[in-house]
Amino acid sequence: MSKGIRGAEGRYGWLFVSPAILIIGVFLVLPIVLALYVSLSNWNGLGSPLGNSDFIGGGNYAKVLVDTGLAQRDFGTAIRNNLYYVIAVVPLQTALALFLAVQVNRRMLKGRGFFRTAFYFPSVTSSIAITTIFIFLFTSSGAVNQVIGWFGVNGPNWFNDPRGILAPLTGAVPGDGPLGLDWAAWLSGPSVAMCVLIILAVFTTSGTFMLLFLAALQNVSGEIEEAASVDGAGPFRQFFSVTLPMIKPTLFTVLTLGLIGTWQVFDQIYLTGGGDPGKTTLTPAYLAYETSFANLKWGQGAAISFILFAIIVALTLLQRWVLRDRDLGASGVRRQKRALERLKRDAAAGAQR
Amino acid sequence: MKYRKWGAALLAAGVVAGLGACASGGGDSSGETKELSILIGTSGDAETQAVQAAADAWAADNNAKVEVVVASDLTQQLSQGFAGGDAPDLFYMSWDQFATYASNGYLEPYAADLPNAGDFYPALSDTFTYDGTFTCAPKDFSTLGLIINTDMWAAAGLTDADIPTDWDSLEAAATKLTTADTVGLSFGLEYARLGVFMNQAGGRLVDGDTVTADSAENLAGLQYVQKLHDEGVLKWPAEVDAGWGGEALGAGKAAMVIEGPWIKGIQGDFPDTNYASYELPAGPGGKSTFTFTNCWGIPANSDTADSAKSLVEYLTADEQQLAFGDAFGVLPSTESAAATYAEQHPENASFVAGNDYAVSPVNFAGSAAVISDFNAQLASLVGGDPKAILASLQEELQAALDEANGN
Amino acid sequence: MTTTEAAAAVATEQARAPRPRRRTRTAGARITLLVTYAILILLAFIYIYPFLISVASSFKTDADATQNPLNLLPETWSFAAYERLFTTVPLLQWTANSAFITVVVTLCRVFFDSLAGYALSRLKFRGQSVVFASLIGVMAVPGVVLLIPRFLILKQFGLYDSYAGMIVPLIIDAAGIFIMKQFFESIPVSVEEAARIDGAGIFRTYRSIVLPMAVPALITLFILSFQGSWNEFSHFIVSRQSPSLNTLTTGVASLTSGQLGSGNQYPLQLAAAVLMSIPVAIIFFIFQKRIMSTSEGGEKG
Repeated sequence: MSKGIRGAEGRYGWLFVSPAILIIGVFLVLPIVLALYVSLSNWNGLGSPLGNSDFIGGGNYAKVLVDTGLAQRDFGTAIRNNLYYVIAVVPLQTALALFLAVQVNRRMLKGRGFFRTAFYFPSVTSSIAITTIFIFLFTSSGAVNQVIGWFGVNGPNWFNDPRGILAPLTGAVPGDGPLGLDWAAWLSGPSVAMCVLIILAVFTTSGTFMLLFLAALQNVSGEIEEAASVDGAGPFRQFFSVTLPMIKPTLFTVLTLGLIGTWQVFDQIYLTGGGDPGKTTLTPAYLAYETSFANLKWGQGAAISFILFAIIVALTLLQRWVLRDRDLGASGVRRQKRALERLKRDAAAGAQR
Repeated sequence: MKYRKWGAALLAAGVVAGLGACASGGGDSSGETKELSILIGTSGDAETQAVQAAADAWAADNNAKVEVVVASDLTQQLSQGFAGGDAPDLFYMSWDQFATYASNGYLEPYAADLPNAGDFYPALSDTFTYDGTFTCAPKDFSTLGLIINTDMWAAAGLTDADIPTDWDSLEAAATKLTTADTVGLSFGLEYARLGVFMNQAGGRLVDGDTVTADSAENLAGLQYVQKLHDEGVLKWPAEVDAGWGGEALGAGKAAMVIEGPWIKGIQGDFPDTNYASYELPAGPGGKSTFTFTNCWGIPANSDTADSAKSLVEYLTADEQQLAFGDAFGVLPSTESAAATYAEQHPENASFVAGNDYAVSPVNFAGSAAVISDFNAQLASLVGGDPKAILASLQEELQAALDEANGN
Repeated sequence: MTTTEAAAAVATEQARAPRPRRRTRTAGARITLLVTYAILILLAFIYIYPFLISVASSFKTDADATQNPLNLLPETWSFAAYERLFTTVPLLQWTANSAFITVVVTLCRVFFDSLAGYALSRLKFRGQSVVFASLIGVMAVPGVVLLIPRFLILKQFGLYDSYAGMIVPLIIDAAGIFIMKQFFESIPVSVEEAARIDGAGIFRTYRSIVLPMAVPALITLFILSFQGSWNEFSHFIVSRQSPSLNTLTTGVASLTSGQLGSGNQYPLQLAAAVLMSIPVAIIFFIFQKRIMSTSEGGEKG
């Protein structure tokens, strides 16, 4: 009898997962295999890649990574742009989301529901709608420039300003860097236009991550915080020595999600002119698309996709490795230790009462 | 209740069946009525309707049905169409993508067989000749001219005698026309506009097999533009919150712009703006303007190539081209029709006149990517180093040209 | 943020002062709370105002929208943008496509994801762990990397530029399976076992016992799938080209990137952006309590 059920379970198990396996196999695994072939071929976009192309080995990868020329420089530019985007967005969105979560988690705060809704709403609207709105906000005589005009500041022409914000400092750095860009270009910082996209990303993602942090904060039982504050820790210290270590897993999740997400900017670039101004908002994701669909260099475009994939995987692994043992740095560990001891003491005191 | 057990299985099977049932796509209907699709990148409703009307007229005589599809992104949709095996039967092929498409074998070389093949402007036929074969028929052409807001012109106390004829008078007029709310001159920061100044200075990008982008003449062209911008009498449309020059002119944000006959399109949005078109002023190297053109592309080895060719013949006939000119302001691609057009539309005569000395922007397989990189680098022209921009253009364009010739 | 820090520091200092503990703590907390309010209100304003002026600007004339972007009331009310959206722009067709695709994708995802999640958490079958491990691997593949590959495979199967090609690749979502698996693992197994001992078949147990218990997770999955497929953009860029298959995202994107002549037509673009946000906003407000429930804690707000 039980054997019959086991057998049935086996059949049903496979039956239940088969749609998933089928779809994922056909629309995820198979495409990747095909694209891998295309990235190693000279397919020119006519007809099927199978039968209409020759295997050429790593030439497409070399064009992007090694051979000096426009393809390499475009890729270098895209990497530089996206790197600055990641470096700016990930810490900002994480910090803002955590700050918002802590604030709207306060028991004493009235209208928490309203605040949560307000901060979360941008996250549910589509990237297309939000980007459209941002383009409107950041025109040269637009809403943002009018507001900063009140303070006597003449706002830049955001989406059309290709100047790197660090260029005044680093413009004179000599020498050629990797991927066909000179060091001055590598160090020029995000362009003004890219800064708008950075703000846009922080604006739209902080709500989602706020919810993640909120859930985690809820799990940090109120008693622990009580205990810590009875001990005399101010809210500030309490946050860093008790709360933060406790929601560390969520913090890692948010950082990982942020890192993966920020290397995939595509929609916003598509809408703001495909890298304009001056290719300073070009990203690898968009470059891959453009190389294939507009310049008909399918192999090269697919190669860029795979390089991007490798970058994302490598950085995610690197980040996990870096954050694995060191937690919040040496001082964090010390702080955490102290907090734990205090907690034990307070818990004992509580039990006595 | 037993059927429920199979519900999941059926669904799974359905998915498989769905995958198998390939959407067979285009109708291979063996019936008499031929169905054709035309993919166009339109300048507006007027153009779409005119093309549809012309296609319908042809279809009525040829027992066919023609669907005009407006592309939201022509380049992308074309490449997806070709790779997807369902390219449109006829499409706009722009001058800057032509060589890339032709070199990859996307295009049916049909134009030389057209009865009216010899009627087109030679410069236009040359643009669409790849590897010695006149490949596709020029649809029409446009040249750039100087478009002046006549009300502002008069308000600034300028007369016909002040119409710019050279760089100095252009600068003088732009200076006079610049006010707190309006900039004297505006045009897009791109090769398709700035290249005109490089040519007017006597420069060229390509001379045979050699790229001459870093010449002193090209530099002079860029420096002149840079100077006008530094003086504040020239602004890019984006700087005055306009999407393109025409919008800047129509909304009164610029008094003069450099655009083509498509400027007519602003009459819908800005009916109160009065303007007139003139030939571009001459530079130190003489007169020069760009001519832009599209051709009617037919995909290689298409089943419907014969019908499409017949449709092209109809669409490029003088009479039909003049109708297009009336509808949305393009200039006919045949010399005879263009002459008639200039008489019928004196307001656009300057654009036709420009074609006498117009040159086509640089266009060979692989040049498009270099030009778009040049455009990107031009973004740093203000306060930047035009010499470095041209040096980089020189290097990349030469590399691209070598590659194109090597193939 | 520096002001909060300062305020927090001040509050901490006060808390250290040798006064009766309770009162100082309340006073400190009160100041902190006031500062918090000020900051939160300002932030909420920044988060909401862009949406408000977008709605307002969609009723303005072109010139009014460009010149007075901050005004919440149009100088003269103009419905031209909406009129155009419903006449010359095929907005209704885009909406119909978006709605159709979203409904199909959402239903399929909820069904297939929960099915697979259940199998992976409750049914024992050979190869289970391999399937689960591959699923996790698949979750790591970034979506944009798939643009070119998906296009290639769709066209290989002849599904390019069809509803099937737009829908089928989206109907399974590894993350959804993962969520459901986690959920099923969190509910007690006893009920099902009772049902099975009663002789109910596996599919019937799943359908009439397990699914009803899983409603909260299904709703979460529903919300995520709805939002995800309604807002999907890049997949629809590479899976179709016919204008008749435009969804709201690709359609509005074509407006924004300037296909109606390249002029800026802010009221039109904003009106489209506003309209396309309404369905997700409705879903959001209907399920707001549930979306926020993780954060609601013990007491009600």
